[in-house]
Amino acid sequence: MAFDERDLINRSRAGEIEAFDLLVRLHQDRIYNLAYRITGNREDASDAAQDAFVRAYQALRRYREDAAFSTWLYRIATNSALDLVRRRPAHQPVELSAEYRAPDDPEAAANRREVTRRVHAALGHLTVEYRTAVVLRDLQGLAYGEMARILQVPLGTVRSRLARGREAMRAQLTDLVSAEG
Amino acid sequence: MTHEEARTWLSAFLDAALPDHEAVQVEAHLEGCSSCREELAQLRTTVTLLQEVEPMQAPEGFAAEVRRRIERLAQAAQHSPWTRLRAALPWSSGSGPVVRWSWRTAAAAAAVVMVGVFTVNLLREAAPPGGVARVKMPELALDVSKVGEGARTTAQAVPPGAAPGEAAFLRRVIRTGQMAIEVERFDAAASRLFAIAEGAGGFVADSSFSEEDGVPRGTFVLRVPAARFSEVVVQVEKLGTVQRRQISGQDVTEEFIDLEARVRNLARQEARLLALMDRATKIPDLLAIEGEVARVRGEIERLTGRLRFMTNKVDLATVQAEVSQKPKKASGGFWDINRTLERVRTAFLNTVRQMLGAAESLAALAAALLPVALLVIVGWRLFLRATRRGDRAA
Repeated sequence: MAFDERDLINRSRAGEIEAFDLLVRLHQDRIYNLAYRITGNREDASDAAQDAFVRAYQALRRYREDAAFSTWLYRIATNSALDLVRRRPAHQPVELSAEYRAPDDPEAAANRREVTRRVHAALGHLTVEYRTAVVLRDLQGLAYGEMARILQVPLGTVRSRLARGREAMRAQLTDLVSAEG
Repeated sequence: MTHEEARTWLSAFLDAALPDHEAVQVEAHLEGCSSCREELAQLRTTVTLLQEVEPMQAPEGFAAEVRRRIERLAQAAQHSPWTRLRAALPWSSGSGPVVRWSWRTAAAAAAVVMVGVFTVNLLREAAPPGGVARVKMPELALDVSKVGEGARTTAQAVPPGAAPGEAAFLRRVIRTGQMAIEVERFDAAASRLFAIAEGAGGFVADSSFSEEDGVPRGTFVLRVPAARFSEVVVQVEKLGTVQRRQISGQDVTEEFIDLEARVRNLARQEARLLALMDRATKIPDLLAIEGEVARVRGEIERLTGRLRFMTNKVDLATVQAEVSQKPKKASGGFWDINRTLERVRTAFLNTVRQMLGAAESLAALAAALLPVALLVIVGWRLFLRATRRGDRAA
């Protein structure tokens, strides 16, 4: 990482908004991604992710260095997203994802777009607990320990939520799974 | 391990997130269970699919929007009175250095609180409410003890108007003060005396006036609440030069208790007699009982009257002031130079005395505050150090 994150955190704590701005830019994609997969649509994702950063800024003085900054941030973002989802449960999260990296292989890109669309739709049918577990683990690539910290639940709970969530995803994506396997 | 158990563990097994002994068990189960092997394979594919999901990027202007919100928040916070108050305090500012709560901070805070309490106490010692009148109290108490009643001055604590029975065990003292005072101007002194009596919540019970050889003199009897007695004496004595003073306290506690007991007994006797009268059938008996009831009732009235009188005496102390005007010196004709010089001298001395008095008060106050100032400085230093440490730690 080009920036010393600890330094940025300390300067943000001292009220230097430039430093915090850099922190936001460093983490915004991952946090937005997380929020998008949990809330299911861009508008809510943007709100939740912004909320998360604002809350983080306000709570920065309470951040102790016993956990990684990104884990701490994830926790705030997860809670923000879950708050939003629970507040607007009626909102149906079906929306096509249109963001791509430069498609070098049009066919692969199209395939990937389809997978993304299906996964996103399937995630929308999971309960928030299972969805959050699957998103954190398989889309964001977090470790079980980090997930336990973020969700504030025991490791065993992380394991079982993830197992149920994955099972539900498998059931919904059967055709893709058989095609690929 | 059952088949169901194995199935729920497949997900964690896939991530190698199972403890060794459990992983071994799952492996053993997989050996002999084709459906679980199939399920594991499907799960692996599902996870691969999930991992293929195109990551999203935060929308354009996301960071700028976050920044705008934070700045707006800080602005709003600046306008709230609470933040303004916090900003006014030296140890805290909206987003500035943060005090970490450590034992040092706690100790500094405790020191500040102690200094505050200490200061209040010192100030109360240095400047008791009631001013001059109270300062002179010890002198008066001394006079009282000369009379031999000093130990009983506390008896004044009996609140005026308290029922006699309620506080029978409290000392009851009738306080009387008598003094002769020579004043510059009789009229002024007389009106002051009325003011003093009324100011203390009492009244002038009696006043007499006479003039001998062109010099007016008079006697005033002030009745004031016992609790204000000393205060009133001091005020009266300030009217002029005290020529004679006698303060006495008559302890009537025992008499009080005795009277109360007798009233109670008589009341009981009366009740018994009345009961007897109800049952009496013969005329001579009735007459005899009736005579006895009348006697008892009379006795009760007399004793209660005495009690009331004494309560009044105890509740209201008596200050008798004999006021006389200074005889005018033979005037030296058109302009008495001696008198003028005397007045100049007195005025000068008074001013000097007042200035010295003020200086003394100031010195006493400074002396009282000195240790407080030291403690405050030490506490502040500690606090600053704790704060700096907190910042470094942060």
